[in-house]
Amino acid sequence: MNLSVELAPYNKRGLQLKNPVMTASGTAGYGMEYAELVDIERLGAIVSKAITLKPRCGNPQIRLAETASGLLNSIGLQNVGVDTLIKEKAPIWSTWGVPVIVNIAGESIAEYGELAHRLEGVAGVSGIEINVSCPNVAMGGMEFGKSPEIAAAVTEAVKSRTTLPVMVKLTPNVTDITEIARAVVEAGADAISLINTLTGMIIDVSTRKPLLGSVSGGLSGPAIKPIALYMVYQVSQAVDVPIIGCGGIASADDALEFIMAGATAIQMGTATMVNPNAPLEVVEGLERFMDSEGINDIAELVGVARLP
Amino acid sequence: MKQVLATVLSNSEVLPDIHLLCSPAPEIASESMPGQFVMVRTSEDHDPLLRRPLAIHRVSPLASPIQLALLFSVVGRGTKWLAQCKEGDEIDLLGPLGHGFRVQSRHLLLVAGGIGIAPLVALAENELARGAHVTLILGAPTQDQLYPAHLLPPGIELLVATEDGSDGQKGMATDLLANFTGKADQVFACGPVAMYEVMSSQTSIKGRSVQVSMEARMGCGFGVCLGCAIETRQGMKLVCQDGPVFELEDIIWRGEKGGD
Repeated sequence: MNLSVELAPYNKRGLQLKNPVMTASGTAGYGMEYAELVDIERLGAIVSKAITLKPRCGNPQIRLAETASGLLNSIGLQNVGVDTLIKEKAPIWSTWGVPVIVNIAGESIAEYGELAHRLEGVAGVSGIEINVSCPNVAMGGMEFGKSPEIAAAVTEAVKSRTTLPVMVKLTPNVTDITEIARAVVEAGADAISLINTLTGMIIDVSTRKPLLGSVSGGLSGPAIKPIALYMVYQVSQAVDVPIIGCGGIASADDALEFIMAGATAIQMGTATMVNPNAPLEVVEGLERFMDSEGINDIAELVGVARLP
Repeated sequence: MKQVLATVLSNSEVLPDIHLLCSPAPEIASESMPGQFVMVRTSEDHDPLLRRPLAIHRVSPLASPIQLALLFSVVGRGTKWLAQCKEGDEIDLLGPLGHGFRVQSRHLLLVAGGIGIAPLVALAENELARGAHVTLILGAPTQDQLYPAHLLPPGIELLVATEDGSDGQKGMATDLLANFTGKADQVFACGPVAMYEVMSSQTSIKGRSVQVSMEARMGCGFGVCLGCAIETRQGMKLVCQDGPVFELEDIIWRGEKGGD
């Protein structure tokens, strides 16, 4: 039975995963915490928390709130900065038998290029995920991912400074996500991951004010799964690079839905925070499904839900 | 840190809207230190979605297997679900998590505001067993809401404050603090933020080692989501991983923050 997937077929270096299950950026830290709880080497890949050129403190409290089957967050890209990541985190990753993909966020197009340049040749880094979809920062983030021209320019800036496989993580907070997807693929993206969180808010009726310190946040979790799934279905038919589906996946059946919609691989975030074992349960569930359905290669399932 | 499915041994309302849940969870209990917590799943599906952080109230090392006791307020849908768990039900626990109390003395003063008694009982039990002298100031709005004295470990020196004066001294737990800080080398507190803010302005505890257990909304409980980050004089710290126990003087209270 073959669960392995290739995420960057058009890139010289390629990015082969032993299975299609990855952790989603921002919900796995730098991977070390999960390494203590589960056998991370059984995962397809780990995507690290978004990194910026300089360390960031993130947003004020309150940063999190639970909603119906969902989680609204506004962390604000708190991170250690790329230099510390290269010095302290990457050497640990280089000893792991699981690829680590680094999610990068810039405050300008040039900063994205600079981040890619700094990560070039760093042992332990297997790929880059461009974050043009964080809804919780004033500068950069989602603003770069709402315009096809700017998203393409960011992708080009990164591609021109790295030989690493590059995936672009898209925001769902746009009118037509396929338009952005086409633009970043034309600019050289090796793969596309989607979706990041949906913008939302909560009002505390006792204080009569927004609950989150930064007013709005990004919604994740099972609540957003149907939206994410449909966007994967649309984007996978609009472009010809691998799609990494993300948004509310908590079980093997959820993962299968995304694969059948057209995703080559999937990412799990909120579900992993609640149940650290969830990604491994999904790997096992996919194996069981393929076994019982007589499927030899997971690629046979990609996009089968498309109507003729 | 382990994720375990544990069977509920007992779960009862020991005070109005406050439950005491006991469960054998040797993998967690045997590793836990006073002040640490567990993340408890409070649904069988995705709603409520997140685990709830609950202080480790007590560990019974002599029980076989080792038992873990959790004391929690029923405040929302998650804790309501947990309050309805019965003997024989399974609960999903992740822990022990965070850094607990750091004891370096033999004369301890504990200050509990309401449900803040939860982690302090484990601390008192541990330290009394080591031969330390432990004084507890226990505060609650009324006598009915006071943690039952018969559940406290024997040998503890108990002082009570109630807001309506129905038991002990009338007033807040912090009102009693000044009279007793002189006897203690270290102070350990757990209660609402308002209690800590009063403590941080009290002259009687200036210059003393005071550790407080902080509370925050948590997503994961083990340092990956960064949802519980707070500002301290040592930089941004995670309540779940760097805490929940912090030095009182390291915390920057909302009123102190300048600017906007």
